[in-house]
Amino acid sequence: MTNTGTQVGADPATLLDQTEMSLDPEAPEAADAAPSTRRRRNRYTVDGSVIAGFGLIVLIAGWISAVRFMHVPAYILPAPEAVLRALWAGLAVNPASPQGYYLPLWSTLSNAAAGFAIGTGMGLLLGSLMAESRMVEKLLMPYAFALQSLPKVAIAPLIVIWFGFGDGSKVAIAALLAFFPVLINSFTGLRSTEPERIDLMRSLSATRFETYRIVKLPNAAPFIFAGLDMAVVYALLGAIVAEFLGAQQGMGVVITQAQAVSDVAGVFAALVILGALGIVLHTSIRRLEHRVVHWGRRGKQ
Amino acid sequence: MNTRSTRPLIDIENASKTYVTASSGQVHALERVNLAILEGEFVCVVGPSGCGKSTLLRMLAGLDECDGGRLTLAGREVEGPSGEVGVVFQAANLLPWLTVRENVRLPLRVGGRHEPADTRIDDLLAMAGLGDFGGRYPYELSGGMQQRAGICRALARNPQILLMDEPFGALDALTRERMNIELQRIWQSNRKTIMLITHSISEAIFLADRVVVMSARPGRILADLPVPIPRPRSFDTIVSHERYAGLASAIRGLLNAQEGAPND
Repeated sequence: MTNTGTQVGADPATLLDQTEMSLDPEAPEAADAAPSTRRRRNRYTVDGSVIAGFGLIVLIAGWISAVRFMHVPAYILPAPEAVLRALWAGLAVNPASPQGYYLPLWSTLSNAAAGFAIGTGMGLLLGSLMAESRMVEKLLMPYAFALQSLPKVAIAPLIVIWFGFGDGSKVAIAALLAFFPVLINSFTGLRSTEPERIDLMRSLSATRFETYRIVKLPNAAPFIFAGLDMAVVYALLGAIVAEFLGAQQGMGVVITQAQAVSDVAGVFAALVILGALGIVLHTSIRRLEHRVVHWGRRGKQ
Repeated sequence: MNTRSTRPLIDIENASKTYVTASSGQVHALERVNLAILEGEFVCVVGPSGCGKSTLLRMLAGLDECDGGRLTLAGREVEGPSGEVGVVFQAANLLPWLTVRENVRLPLRVGGRHEPADTRIDDLLAMAGLGDFGGRYPYELSGGMQQRAGICRALARNPQILLMDEPFGALDALTRERMNIELQRIWQSNRKTIMLITHSISEAIFLADRVVVMSARPGRILADLPVPIPRPRSFDTIVSHERYAGLASAIRGLLNAQEGAPND
């Protein structure tokens, strides 16, 4: 797992977002005055989905031709039809059937969700304490980075020893992976509060918690959501890694079982399910962010 | 000028301030500044950039500590933010996640206050011409409207004293003149004691009962000039007033005498 770079890298990305915001301070007026700008933007989003669809077609066409014309053996790359068949076999069943994807998916998702809730909750709590107190920052920051620079997959066996092969270790690993991006992003976001806004609250004799709740937390919201966006995918990843190490159920078990009988199409089908799930989770967080951070693009002027 | 009281509501005695910065070591920002502002008076402070005029205001607001001298507001020594003074910041400083109304009501919700949203907020918004905009978010407002909301917020606790730190500096010239007229109207209707920091000479003369001119760093008071022009003033007539040109050139002369201090 090489996620150290990605997670810390998210902060400049968020900052970049804000730079773009501030480049567009008169956006409402500009949109009315220059309809051509708006049209160009709309066309860009249409282009985006067209490009994505085109990419998918090219991918599948390349896949088919690799199997058909380049004779890649099925135990390396199964035909798309075989994967579709495996998908169908897993999806077109009674949701309560142990043959389908639904029970393992539910198991993986519920563990990932519990880990996500615990990990991000702890991340926000400790990130807030570190942002509010230099002492807590000095105390905890080295450990946070030490923890982050360890490959979590290497800690996973230890966690299995501690929590056993049940849901506990899956939740724990998911929480561990979800923790850091929220910790560091909430810390950065809370610390980035404009001093003028803090002065405003001071001039009103606001309490520390009022300043946190009314000014700092909303200010950090875009950062925290960027952290949640990463954390939701990492939580899923963590749950599956835990399942690889030994579990009775879950999508990780579906993959290892298919692998055990050399059912490569079955492995692919499970991966497709997980990929789709990742997209759904990421999109949900984005939607939620748009709703919560409604002042979004223009709020920073 | 005001006849209600001769007791200074804002009293600055020998205020000094030295910063220690990482880049330039000790910075002597203010040097024994003395200034008394009477109840109901409108005083504008002008000075070159970095002369410590904002520091002076921040010290009065309790946001910065002074390290020499005494500051008193309404007879009480300043020992930190009192919550009894309205502060208007540069560039409105509204919170983008709150509606205009919530922004203006903020002073009634924090600092141990849980006052109901009474009609005062609506009256303030109406007075500032924002009656229809209470439910909007700050980014939906123009810069001038945002700053009017910022002034409403400073008035929410109905403070005796209003401290304004270059409140219209970010606005274009036309909007700025309109805001000056608005502010004069607001001040004439409720007679707060106002200290306003600016580096616009015309703004200072238009608004002030007295214009205080400060020197470059370390900031000292060079002159304290009364503006004997009757109110309500208007930008059309004020420039032709017999005292205007003399005052403006006196202030400009004082500012230009400062080393390397360009001014508008």
